[in-house]
Amino acid sequence: MFLPAQYEFFCPVKTNSGNRALEHLPVELDALNARKPLIITSKDLSGRGLADVMADAFKDSGLTLGIFDGTSPAPDLKLIRELTKIYRHKGYDAIIALGGGSVMDAAKALNIVVSGRPEDLERAAGEDRMMKPLKPLIWVPAGEADGYESSKYATIGPLNFSSPYLMPHLVVLDPRMTIQENIEKTAASALIVLTHAVEAYTGPAKNPMTDAYAYAAIALIMTHLMDVMKIFQNEKGCLDLANAASMAGCAFSNSPKGLVHTLGSALALACGLSPGLCMGILLPYGLEYNTQKHGFHTLELLMPLAGPDVYAGTAGSLRSRKALDILYDLQDKLVQASGGMVPRKLADMKVPKEKLTEIAQTAGGENITGWEGGLSVLEQAWQGKPATPTS
Amino acid sequence: MGDFREVTPGGNPLKRVYVAIMLWFVGRAIQAAAVVDDDVKKEFENLPDGFTFSLGVMPNGPTMIVGKNRRGKVKYLGWNPKGRLIDLKMKIKNLEAAILMFTFQESTAVANARVRMIVDGEVPPACAIVRVLDIVEVYLLAKIIAKLAVKRYPVWSFGRKWIGRTRIYFRAVLGY
Repeated sequence: MFLPAQYEFFCPVKTNSGNRALEHLPVELDALNARKPLIITSKDLSGRGLADVMADAFKDSGLTLGIFDGTSPAPDLKLIRELTKIYRHKGYDAIIALGGGSVMDAAKALNIVVSGRPEDLERAAGEDRMMKPLKPLIWVPAGEADGYESSKYATIGPLNFSSPYLMPHLVVLDPRMTIQENIEKTAASALIVLTHAVEAYTGPAKNPMTDAYAYAAIALIMTHLMDVMKIFQNEKGCLDLANAASMAGCAFSNSPKGLVHTLGSALALACGLSPGLCMGILLPYGLEYNTQKHGFHTLELLMPLAGPDVYAGTAGSLRSRKALDILYDLQDKLVQASGGMVPRKLADMKVPKEKLTEIAQTAGGENITGWEGGLSVLEQAWQGKPATPTS
Repeated sequence: MGDFREVTPGGNPLKRVYVAIMLWFVGRAIQAAAVVDDDVKKEFENLPDGFTFSLGVMPNGPTMIVGKNRRGKVKYLGWNPKGRLIDLKMKIKNLEAAILMFTFQESTAVANARVRMIVDGEVPPACAIVRVLDIVEVYLLAKIIAKLAVKRYPVWSFGRKWIGRTRIYFRAVLGY
């Protein structure tokens, strides 16, 4: 157990997970002093009947709900204006986001606007610009979730927001909603979750509170990801992955953005790729670089990655190497299970090698490592060759 | 506004009726068990005279109310809490949670551990009432079902179980 000389941790998120968790929503709304929620979701999820399942959970409650299912994959200010109009004219007093990243981004931005004035949205962009709590916000994960949803971050078009007040008051994880349908998106989302949890667990802001969230998220991903990749309609596995996403979001909100996160995001933006797949490829390389350069806590990472038996059976001096080997091994398993849809190295994703320096420089501005370190990680990940050979 | 609709979900009358019948019968069975079973009798003796409790489903019922009058007699007081001073309110958070409990997919203890219930009142009488409910369920249900509903299935003598069961069913049906 690592206790730093000083640390800070904040997580206001209440979690309600399991069989018939959705049916608790009326009571939870009452506890938040809300009587009329607006549900925001996407056409895709609504088409799968999930909005109706959600509405059925309110039977016998006597509450009236609004359901908006027009959220696009990249929500913009026009959408937030439309949602604001509906929210205000119909007199709603809480927001329920049913879905993943884009739905939750729209819900968070709407919450900024309806908790104050419309012009507050642009003023709130940036780091910690919000000074007071917002209206009740509930996240119900549906389909793929990558953990940004429960975090303090949101993005609408060119505006990026970061504030603990953006974290949802409540996360409701119900197995009827978390079933996944797309093998590539499932892997990509899980890899973002794993990256955030691993970087929180091994990073410089490591403390017992982030450890608790990150440890559970890593262990859940490692236990259930391959099961879900093999049997898609695996209710228990999908629920556990959604739990991991929610926990990783809380850990991520209390840690600085790590090397793999910043490099993966920059790479995805520059080349129009999936951030999850980029982070998944970069994770072991970035972790290996950090271990060699900064001596981060990769020894302890073996425990959530592989469990107590493997941890106890591995000599102390070899635990770091073993943790990295497990992550490289996970990449191979994902490539196999997805029939090649999940790539093994950056070259497989057709990333031009000559672009790596520019990407490293873009990411370097956001990270303490500096761009040269990032470049070496990108080059190794491009070739698929670790800095030291795997055992 | 084409992507927007407003809905007021209706009720679930069948489930509601099922839970209402179960609560009605359990309420009358508690009244009967307070006469027939020594353990239930003792639990109620430790509660003050005039003590009233309710077990109901949020937000609008169904509910059962049981009370101990000034002469120490335990009575099922019906379903309507309006105008009554209730010392202990045990509220199941929603109808689905009540269905899980009353179809014995979840025991009272498990439902409590999963935070499907809210207790509004003192904890010691609430624990006493949960113990009473466990005993009543053992009387009312066949062993195979009761094992799912109670924390630990008790070892009782043949006489206590079968004579007690007959007397409780008889009294619950007739309502005395």
